[in-house]
Amino acid sequence: MRSLGENKLKNKSGNILTENIIFIILNLVFLSILIVFLVSKMSAAAVLEEMHAKQIALMISAAEPGMTIHLDMENAINIAKKEGINSGDVVTIKENVVTVKLREKGGYSYSFFNNVDARPNFDTLTNKGYFFVVDKNE
Amino acid sequence: MNKKGGKLISVYWFAILFIVAGGIVYMVSAFYGKPYDVRLAEADILTSKIARCVSEAGYLKEGVLTEDFKNNFMESCAINFQAEDVYNWREQGQYYVEIEFLDFNTKQKISQISEGNQGLKPDCGLEGKGFPVCVDRKFYSIDKDGNQYQIKILSIVRKTEKNVQ
Repeated sequence: MRSLGENKLKNKSGNILTENIIFIILNLVFLSILIVFLVSKMSAAAVLEEMHAKQIALMISAAEPGMTIHLDMENAINIAKKEGINSGDVVTIKENVVTVKLREKGGYSYSFFNNVDARPNFDTLTNKGYFFVVDKNE
Repeated sequence: MNKKGGKLISVYWFAILFIVAGGIVYMVSAFYGKPYDVRLAEADILTSKIARCVSEAGYLKEGVLTEDFKNNFMESCAINFQAEDVYNWREQGQYYVEIEFLDFNTKQKISQISEGNQGLKPDCGLEGKGFPVCVDRKFYSIDKDGNQYQIKILSIVRKTEKNVQ
């Protein structure tokens, strides 16, 4: 037979344990929400569209005819796949304007000043990036 | 007494967590909400391209000081200043370049080439969000006959709407 004091002590320990577990779970939930928010902001389609369009435009501006440049765009291509965009249609170049499109109702364009003929080719070997073939503009 | 104290600490703990999280959310939103400003890199690349076009391995390229080169500068250096057709950019002109060829010893101007929107030049040196980015570089060059030159290149890129908020 346990005494009344022993039972009270056991109940108190049980309460402390439950409170601590709830406290830790709430903290974890809170931190998880924060991390999910940060990741979603960092890998947002709009941010990646702008980043890659400007990156490609600068890359082509600095390129010389005869160059072939490979650009790793794995994150962007994964997002495009999720959004139902064909991987080969993510990057388009019309005249001297680069457009990166990762969403149906989206896309970001940026121009380059190098008067060259630049063609984007999807890397079908790795499915992770693009090749940019830079030739003289005839 | 202890139990009350524990709950009180938890409330403060969550209050602090919410304040910290609010700060992080605000900073992240402010950072990712702003566009990447690539104009300085763009102006630097433009300057390098022009430098490579007029000079090679320290020597001034042949025909650079001729009227023909001056008149066909954009074609000769493979430059196209046509920007995308947004914010009235095409009509306005988003670039300007100015190249000065000076005698290295006397600093007298021998030739000058300028292309693009001249209206951007007065905004150089002004501080503020809406102004273009200017890159001013100069370098030494020599021709086949041993004449020495100082070449000054001023490159200006506007494109404010897509680079600054």
